[in-house]
Amino acid sequence: MADPANGPERVVGPTSADDDVLRVEHIAKRFGPVTALRDVNLHLRKGEVLGLLGDNGAGKSTLIKIICGFQRPDSGQMFVHGEPFAPRSVDEGRARGIETVYQDLALIDELSVYHNLFLRRERVHHPIPLLANRQMKREARAALDQIGINIPRIDVSVARLSGGQRQAIAVARTVNSDADILLLDEPLAAMGAKEGAMILDLVARLKDEGRVSIIMILHNYVHVLEACDRVSMIQDGAIALDKPTAETSVEELTEIVVNEYKRARMAAHEQEHPAA
Amino acid sequence: MLERALSLREGSIIVVTILTAIYFSANTSSFFTSANFKTLLPYFAPLAILGAGEVFVMILGEIDLSIGAMYLFAPFVFYKLSTAGIPLVPCVILALLCCMVVGLVNGFFTAVVGISSFVTTLGMLFTFEGLALIISHGQPVATPGAEVHQTTHQVTHVVNGVHVTLPETVNHISTFAKVFGGGTYSELIWAVAIVIFLQVVLTFTRWGLYTVSIGSNKLGAGEAGVRVRLVMIRNFMLCALLAGFVGILEAVRAQSVQPDPAGANEILFLAIASAVIGGTLLAGGSGTVVGALIGALFLGILKDGLVLQGVNANYLLFYTGLAIILAASVGVYVSRARRGRGSG
Repeated sequence: MADPANGPERVVGPTSADDDVLRVEHIAKRFGPVTALRDVNLHLRKGEVLGLLGDNGAGKSTLIKIICGFQRPDSGQMFVHGEPFAPRSVDEGRARGIETVYQDLALIDELSVYHNLFLRRERVHHPIPLLANRQMKREARAALDQIGINIPRIDVSVARLSGGQRQAIAVARTVNSDADILLLDEPLAAMGAKEGAMILDLVARLKDEGRVSIIMILHNYVHVLEACDRVSMIQDGAIALDKPTAETSVEELTEIVVNEYKRARMAAHEQEHPAA
Repeated sequence: MLERALSLREGSIIVVTILTAIYFSANTSSFFTSANFKTLLPYFAPLAILGAGEVFVMILGEIDLSIGAMYLFAPFVFYKLSTAGIPLVPCVILALLCCMVVGLVNGFFTAVVGISSFVTTLGMLFTFEGLALIISHGQPVATPGAEVHQTTHQVTHVVNGVHVTLPETVNHISTFAKVFGGGTYSELIWAVAIVIFLQVVLTFTRWGLYTVSIGSNKLGAGEAGVRVRLVMIRNFMLCALLAGFVGILEAVRAQSVQPDPAGANEILFLAIASAVIGGTLLAGGSGTVVGALIGALFLGILKDGLVLQGVNANYLLFYTGLAIILAASVGVYVSRARRGRGSG
């Protein structure tokens, strides 16, 4: 067994495929004394849905925030469509075709549904750049209908919506864009079974269209096996497993997590009772 | 929806202001006169402009206390530049640029360094009020360009069929003074123009949308790609600019620049009161520029009406204070009703 202080038993090195839209190599990130990511290697192929798994605090959300440009890595490289990619802002990530659903949704309670849908991509008039609210309302309505999300009124503030509806708006915001790489951080978190199924249907539909590639953080392994082509699992700040979903099972994924849990228990035990 | 939300947010204070005006009109014969309206103007127009800038900072969930210092400091800079031989209008522009640099520093310490804006701008308030005293040596000066020229004309009247010629004195002020605060309606026109412009910016532009976004959910706005620091710094610069501008307008109107930090501090707090009474939340995320103008008008009517009624001046602050608390309570109630079940 590996020394728990040095992380998981195995670390997946840089891998790639010819049709990668995104490659992440040797990404590391520390927050003060805490190492969030040690050495992350990841790739995303065109039209693929990649499930990103890992325990709470494993660094999944940090990785998402680095890829989208909200945070900068301490070291490592990223490539989008084979070109070097070092975003200094979310805008730069967006310019390269990356849109994100954050775990906290990043919705603005005070703004209406349609202003949230178009936040940072507002439609404006020319030459005086006033907001083209009517156009945004029309497009928002069309986009929500197309996605199949039922929001009765789009001119109310999102504070008035249910948790599931808010989540749906956050997902719709990424889908309703020109992005070809979508990062979804727990898109089903606040949703009931019915709403969750709707989002998974949407992901399946996007996959069939083949235009976008998706990295999705999920906790439910049944959802992972249903929706994803491949899974990458983060343990202790590094990718410890990278497998097509066809070659894995709920049992295997559970076993890995159980083993990690045992390892952590043992490490904690050893710390409390050092061997003589 | 926008119009409805707007009317709701300012609705309560509009009603209160109208009721107050009706009350004073009914109780004092001299309230509802044009002469009285003119005495009201210099009280509320400066507050409306200051309040408009403060609203842009308060919606962010921040506060700018340094507007008192900008109000005091800008006219002295204007004076110094003018005595150095620079023409009047460039002096105004340069003085206002100085204020914007102060706003930039406020914004930098708040948005980038992360010091609370209350502390940052409190420090800047004392620093620049002190600087105003230093550069003025604590002495009032005559405002450049605001001098009143008197000319005497021989005017012939016909009295009972007899031509009588008498000398009459006429006061003249320069065009510069008429435009920048000296004209009777100059401050009112500036206030209305600035308030309308900034309300449009707040409601119908990306700048306004991002300002609300940052006040409502700073992290989320950043995650969505809003350049939080840039917008915050910009709003602090706007607020400082307007405060400096009001300082110059008032100096031109009064024809002198007074080194009076106590007066400036009172203006500062009344401006914040105008914004709060108008329905802008100190907690951020919500506010209206038009509301600040109505809040300023309310404070003006209250003061003016009480004075006309012969109420002891000692009661003025007392009533103003009660009005602020009442208006803020109504604002919170209305905002809760508007947001429905809250942030969930």
